[in-house]
Amino acid sequence: MKRKKDLSTVSFIAIAYGTLSLLAILCLLPFWLIVSGSFTAENEIIGEGFKIWPKELSIDAYKAVFTNPEQILRAYWVTIWITAAGTFLGLFLTSMAGYVLARKDFKYRNAVSFFMYFTTLFSGGLIPWYILIVKYLSWKDSYLAMLVPGLLSAWNIILMKNFMKSIPDSIIESARIDGANDFTIYSRLILPLSTPGLATIGLFLALGYWNDWFTANIFITTESKYPLQFFLYKILANAAVLRTDIAANLSAVNFKAPAETLKMAVAVVVTGPIVLLYPFVQKYFVKGLTIGAVKG
Amino acid sequence: MKRKLGAVLATALFAAAALSGCGGNDEAKPEASASGKSDGKQDAVASAGPDTSKPVELVWYLLGDANKDTPKVMEEFNKMLKKDLNATVKLNFTTWNDWQTKYNLLLTAGEKIDMIFASSWAGFFKYAKQGAFLDLTPLLPKYAPQVQKQVPEQDWSDVTIGGKIYAVPNTNPEYTPDGIVYREDWRKELNLPEIKDLASIEAYMDGIKKNKPGVIPINGSAWNEISTLFMAYHDFHTIGGESGVIVSKSYDTPRDIVAYPFTPEYEAWVKKMKEWADKGYWSKNTLSSKQEAGDLIKAGTGAIYWRNPPGASGFITDMQKQNPKVEIGYFPFTRLHNYAMPTMAIANGMAIPKSAANPERSLMVLEKIRTDPKYYNLITYGIEGYHYDLINDGKNIVTPSKSQDPAKVQGYGIADWGWRYKPLMKSGVGGWDGLDKLNEEFAKISKPDIFSPISMDYDPVKTEYAAVNQVKDQYGKPLMMGLVPNVDEAIKTYRDKLKAAGIDKVLDYVKQQATAYYDEKGIK
Repeated sequence: MKRKKDLSTVSFIAIAYGTLSLLAILCLLPFWLIVSGSFTAENEIIGEGFKIWPKELSIDAYKAVFTNPEQILRAYWVTIWITAAGTFLGLFLTSMAGYVLARKDFKYRNAVSFFMYFTTLFSGGLIPWYILIVKYLSWKDSYLAMLVPGLLSAWNIILMKNFMKSIPDSIIESARIDGANDFTIYSRLILPLSTPGLATIGLFLALGYWNDWFTANIFITTESKYPLQFFLYKILANAAVLRTDIAANLSAVNFKAPAETLKMAVAVVVTGPIVLLYPFVQKYFVKGLTIGAVKG
Repeated sequence: MKRKLGAVLATALFAAAALSGCGGNDEAKPEASASGKSDGKQDAVASAGPDTSKPVELVWYLLGDANKDTPKVMEEFNKMLKKDLNATVKLNFTTWNDWQTKYNLLLTAGEKIDMIFASSWAGFFKYAKQGAFLDLTPLLPKYAPQVQKQVPEQDWSDVTIGGKIYAVPNTNPEYTPDGIVYREDWRKELNLPEIKDLASIEAYMDGIKKNKPGVIPINGSAWNEISTLFMAYHDFHTIGGESGVIVSKSYDTPRDIVAYPFTPEYEAWVKKMKEWADKGYWSKNTLSSKQEAGDLIKAGTGAIYWRNPPGASGFITDMQKQNPKVEIGYFPFTRLHNYAMPTMAIANGMAIPKSAANPERSLMVLEKIRTDPKYYNLITYGIEGYHYDLINDGKNIVTPSKSQDPAKVQGYGIADWGWRYKPLMKSGVGGWDGLDKLNEEFAKISKPDIFSPISMDYDPVKTEYAAVNQVKDQYGKPLMMGLVPNVDEAIKTYRDKLKAAGIDKVLDYVKQQATAYYDEKGIK
């Protein structure tokens, strides 16, 4: 059945689409500038600035990035590995913790919840954290330092707990009557039912690991263990140092100011994959976040 | 009910324990463990001779980035070291990302580090005063006797605090005064006067502006060019680093310390700068521009760029490679007042943190590097016959080695500033030859640096100092760049804001610190 649209509906649609397209363009433009910048000739950027469409296409920046491809590929490998392992382990631990706290027959759940919640209010600060990891755990220059601290966060556990609370108790009870034990219930019933929650928190974790440069910055000293983001950040930092007074104290032999276009090219190389991840988890994202965000 | 109460109590106890644990960790732990351990060690070291029977791995930290061939070079280096001193060195790098934070963490957390790059600009004085570094005085004669003789007395005094030596400074008299590179070919083409003073700089910019359409004399960010010119022209010297607004008025009267925005010289200068800005010697958005003036010289739309001599040398060499037709000149601002100050010895050096496991072996390795050309060349310039070849009886090097394909092998370089020793240093050939000439010129008019050693610890006036810098950024910079509609009004506002920010308190503090230093060193 086709309904005739009246004028107000049509105009509403026109305005809505118009506004949204405009906003979409505004959001996409910076990304486009990065992409087009990475394909512009160096002198054109310096002389005339960034442009929507470069006069002359140039792939010099990408050539420069991939002259030393081992370094970038290794950094990619480190990041992917850390992200995958961190997300998987993190999801497992978070969902376990969330599930336990969501079960009403766990006697101390309020006390434990409070204990976790408490950590979100206070933190020891950078130096104790550093001392713990370096001196007591001896994780300096180890992948563990990048992997473990991000696995669990109180915020994620609370989110997970609230999400799992929305699963009716009767499901668990009926499973129990059918003879399922706790692990079966967790793995066969709770996990499949929590897909939106898992997807949401999984995305949080994945983004966190993918974007994390800080832990690598302070704990990792071997170049071959650098993740991708830190690799990019290092290039930018070198440029920043050249602009400060410090450069006056150093003979600039080992310095080469990185080219503008190189920065853009690296940015494209770094952000590419994670942008592609969004469409696949996006449909769970909104649902998971809204359900989980209701505090109970 | 009872149970619930118990649970709450238990939680509270837990929390309290966790909290106090954290708090304790925060302050007491690193200090206590670091100092306690090292004190005991120092005694042990003093009584034992150079004993190398125990193999050790030394962890060294350098500021900066590794070279991609560093692992290869260090492998060679360690092979030699293992044989001679039964030690190996693991080089770690802070990289330039947040290196201040990292330095702080490395030194306060009491991590086991045997040697670390130290420098006046990387907080050497602060850390030394806080006790982060080991006192080397008793160790030097035993473990690095030759280095002790190599380093001139004056340089040792740079690193001596309260009678104790806290670092081994590099031995490489360097001059890094401010100056500018400019398009010499354009100057000749337009028949402009040779650059030798402020008037000729002005004439040059004027000529460029009028005759070269599309070129802005100082294109991009012009702050460095103008602010350093101001200081050099008036022979002002900032005191206590961090290019603040407090200066000593002249080399001849170092005790005459003022805040320069309150001087008549400044008033006259900013009026001139207003004229220059209006004439378009730099762009209106110069303060927000992130572009280096040098990049725009390369792009052909700029003509002046601030550089110190080593920086200029790199820039000019680069330019010669990219565009041999362009001729670049260099004008050091020292010619405005006819003397040059070498950088302090501790502009670069090596120190041993308190937490070091093997300070004595570390010193022995440093001694090896600084006395044996084999070690020095390897760790500094890479592998001979691969990264470089020695020529001119070993005085110069060419990079990369002639036997290698230059497309695949590049010259080697790492953050070697800390152990530089002039007699062992090589310079590359094929670069700009002007640097040596400049250094000769500077050496002739050299006067010791009496300003940089006044290391300021701004803690007592922290708030005022931050506020003053804030005001400087907000009101001082546009004024200096002539970007205000009314100069007189802007000067008044700037001065009022500085007063309100507490400039007098900072000034008094700096004066007091400077006077103490001059009294100690017997400078009038």
